[in-house]
Amino acid sequence: MPRLIALRIAMSLLSLFLAASFAFSLVHLSPTDPAILALGDGASEAQRLKLTQELGLDRPILVQLATWFMRVLGGDLGQSIFAHKPVTSMIGDAIPVTLSLLIAASVIAVILGITIGIYAGLRSGSWVDRLVTSGVSASLAIPSFWLALLLAYFFAVKLRILPVAGYTTYAESPSRWVIGLLLPSFALSVHGAAVIARHMRGAVIDVLDSAFINAARARGTPMRVVISRYVFKNALVSVMPIIGIEVAVLLAISTVIEKVFVLPGLGTLMVNAVITSDFPLLQGTILVTATILITVNLMIDIVMGLLDSRIRPQ
Amino acid sequence: MTLAAEETESVISPAGRQLRQGNKAPRPARRWMTLIRREPLAAACLAGIALLVLIALLAPALAPYDPNNNDVLNRLKGPSATFWLGTDELGRDLFSRLLYGARTAVETSFQSVGMALLIGVPLGLLIGYLGGWWDRVAMRVTDIAQSIPSLIFAFAVIAILGRGVNQTAIAVGIVFSIIMLRIARGLMLRERELLYVDAARVGGLSTPRILFREILPNVAGPLIVEAALLLGSAIMLITMLSFLGLGLEASTPDWGSMLDEARKYQVLHPFMALPPGLAIMAAVLLFNFTGDSLRDALMGRRRVAHRKLRQDRRARNAPKAKAPVQDADTVLTVQGLRVSYLSESGKPMEVLSDISLDLHRGETVGLVGESGSGKSTTGMAMVGLLPDTASSSGHVWLGDTDMLTAPAAEAAKRRGPEIAMVFQDPIGSLSPVHTVGQQLIEPMQHHLGLGKEEATRRVIELLEMVGIPNAAQRINDYPHQFSGGMAQRAMIAMALSCRPKMLVADEPTSALDVTVQAQVLKLLGRLSTEFDMAVLLVTHDLGVVSEACDRVVVMYAGEIVEVGKVADVLAKPRHPYTYALLKATPRNEAPAGRLPTIPGTVPPPWDFPRGCRFAPRCAFVKEACTIAPVALVDGVRCVRAGELSLEVGA
Repeated sequence: MPRLIALRIAMSLLSLFLAASFAFSLVHLSPTDPAILALGDGASEAQRLKLTQELGLDRPILVQLATWFMRVLGGDLGQSIFAHKPVTSMIGDAIPVTLSLLIAASVIAVILGITIGIYAGLRSGSWVDRLVTSGVSASLAIPSFWLALLLAYFFAVKLRILPVAGYTTYAESPSRWVIGLLLPSFALSVHGAAVIARHMRGAVIDVLDSAFINAARARGTPMRVVISRYVFKNALVSVMPIIGIEVAVLLAISTVIEKVFVLPGLGTLMVNAVITSDFPLLQGTILVTATILITVNLMIDIVMGLLDSRIRPQ
Repeated sequence: MTLAAEETESVISPAGRQLRQGNKAPRPARRWMTLIRREPLAAACLAGIALLVLIALLAPALAPYDPNNNDVLNRLKGPSATFWLGTDELGRDLFSRLLYGARTAVETSFQSVGMALLIGVPLGLLIGYLGGWWDRVAMRVTDIAQSIPSLIFAFAVIAILGRGVNQTAIAVGIVFSIIMLRIARGLMLRERELLYVDAARVGGLSTPRILFREILPNVAGPLIVEAALLLGSAIMLITMLSFLGLGLEASTPDWGSMLDEARKYQVLHPFMALPPGLAIMAAVLLFNFTGDSLRDALMGRRRVAHRKLRQDRRARNAPKAKAPVQDADTVLTVQGLRVSYLSESGKPMEVLSDISLDLHRGETVGLVGESGSGKSTTGMAMVGLLPDTASSSGHVWLGDTDMLTAPAAEAAKRRGPEIAMVFQDPIGSLSPVHTVGQQLIEPMQHHLGLGKEEATRRVIELLEMVGIPNAAQRINDYPHQFSGGMAQRAMIAMALSCRPKMLVADEPTSALDVTVQAQVLKLLGRLSTEFDMAVLLVTHDLGVVSEACDRVVVMYAGEIVEVGKVADVLAKPRHPYTYALLKATPRNEAPAGRLPTIPGTVPPPWDFPRGCRFAPRCAFVKEACTIAPVALVDGVRCVRAGELSLEVGA
């Protein structure tokens, strides 16, 4: 197990390096001169040359990459062009918002998805199963932002039991923090729950068909033990990677959810960065997004290693 | 001869074969049509797509108003006869905007998926075909792109290219190209191993020709399925981008930006959110269903098994039968067992017909037959584990419990202390994510009520008895750390842990090395005497029967054709099938000449002959054989049993 963890951490660091290089290359892939990007269209030639020198844009690309890396490692992601604030502090404010939303939604999605998937998989072919299968298909086709709008309308405008929008930090009021996150995290979780339920159902059906389930029944193990011990764990092992992929999808969808509920999270920063061509901010947010996802995958890999001895290096 | 013909067949690709089958061969178009006729859902979906495309094309003719025509006097109106779906904050007609939105959705999604097909597929095929470093480098590059979610990757592309209809389609197209590249590469890796690709290469065809003329037709099906699913994702991604204000210019009517406007007026005019949301959902559902139903059509529908795990209807429906009077030696009695399944066309097909059999303490009975003869089904019926899709009649008496009709919980209680089973694949019979020990102690915990420590202690003893070294350490291993022979010993130890009166061993040595086979058989023989149990040894190998069994039951096409003492049956078979099996069994004193085989194969259950089921393959067939079903008389099911003299050997 320690070898597995060490191996996966090394791989994660490599992925992180590659993701950072991608973020760095964004500025240079743009057809517009990065100095112009930073100054805006109205800049004079003299200003442009001055900034080019300041930013070191006239130096070789690898030198720029190296200096950029050194800066990032030192915790400096540069200055936002429009907000005129350090990118790190902007991201620092946004991360708690996005992480609370993502974690809440992922937990709901995993619990709902796994429960529904097992329930339907054990009854495959029954009317409950058909209901679940069609429900999953429908949930995957519902645009999350539309669902969020409908939920907001129903619970906040009609029933007036939940806030329409806005974010309260945990420090301000823990109870309002939770209440404020209820609708957004549920709206976000639906896609994940549907995907996880679909895979869990398939995994349960496959596992029920396997020889070792037959063998367990042949040795007189009661069906409830067969299900809770063998079906559950084997199906879970095959669904774990899907959970990792799905957390990434939820992080992407959280950008639209943040917009509907006016949450000042990473997605909002990222969208503003794209609209205003604020490349330092865009680089920073993409790097942070990649870091979150790489960490999630690392955790999934470690859990997989704990669950399944076959993937531990021998 | 036949072998050579088969080999020539396999160098022609599956798609090529369809073309070569002369006028009987359906052309691709016709093949699609028949598939669609068989798959009404797929047909309906394709019709839906046609309708969507038609709406998109005819939007200018269908729309009652110019989608960008402002009418401030009529702003934020509800649905009415003039404005069917009402108006937005600038007084623009929402129905017209919805129709033009369909145009935008179709245009951008087809553009991006088309781009993915044109860039991703050729690159993926080429990379998969070249393999080696090409493949490794390309996969690492796409890994980076894939580690960032599609939507956020599209953000980055839009940040570089700027906003607009084309830019959005290109951004999504780049994301999808990477997805398509990986899918095409995966399909190619599988296809590359097939003989027809080698044949094309040996035949000196150029690489582009091999890729696009030989291989592409064979992977087109899965690629079309993916393309349909991507169309759905495209609509989702593009509407999300325009909802975020990153996608299209404000003047382009589009469902995502319509929802963004609805968001601003959700308190004042909530109806605005309904039409575009429903439109997105309908379009995405349409493409998802198309992909799924095409996949079903291409791969053959996945049959949904009807499982009943909790409720056990068998017990309630079966009339109460009385157990027969068994003598003290009889462990298990099978009476008139019939098992049938529903065929795919819905007709019942009988896989076991009128099986009757007794098993006694201390004896080992061999159950032999070719694959398809029903011997494994007989074994599963004995332990009461026929699949829930099977229907059965007759009885399997284990003491006074009928394993066929007993409630599931009741039957489970008998499995272990009274009857146990060992399977062909010992490693596959163990859950891969649980330790071997955890699974081996289970029967003793459930049936003998032992605690974990006591059960573990006894399992270690049992494992030592069946010859597993280091048993105390090995129980903490996982199944994949066991060899096949060791795993089978462990499975036998577990089967015996509750001292059953009977053991069903279903091909217990077929998956093992020959040297290990002999050891495991010897172990089984020793233990059956030691435990004084009845053993039913299911096998296709008469050599195993002669070595290990006292009696033998020969099955053919779901029937018992001959029963008797091993020494008698093997020396002087009375059924032509037994005779043919014996002739086809290799012996040590290798005779000159070829080993004879039985011509033909076991017929499938829906095709059993009316008379003697072996008649079509029998060397001694007479007219009388084919007239009526033959009864099992005096241990043999043959019309000519009295007159034939079938001696083996000499």
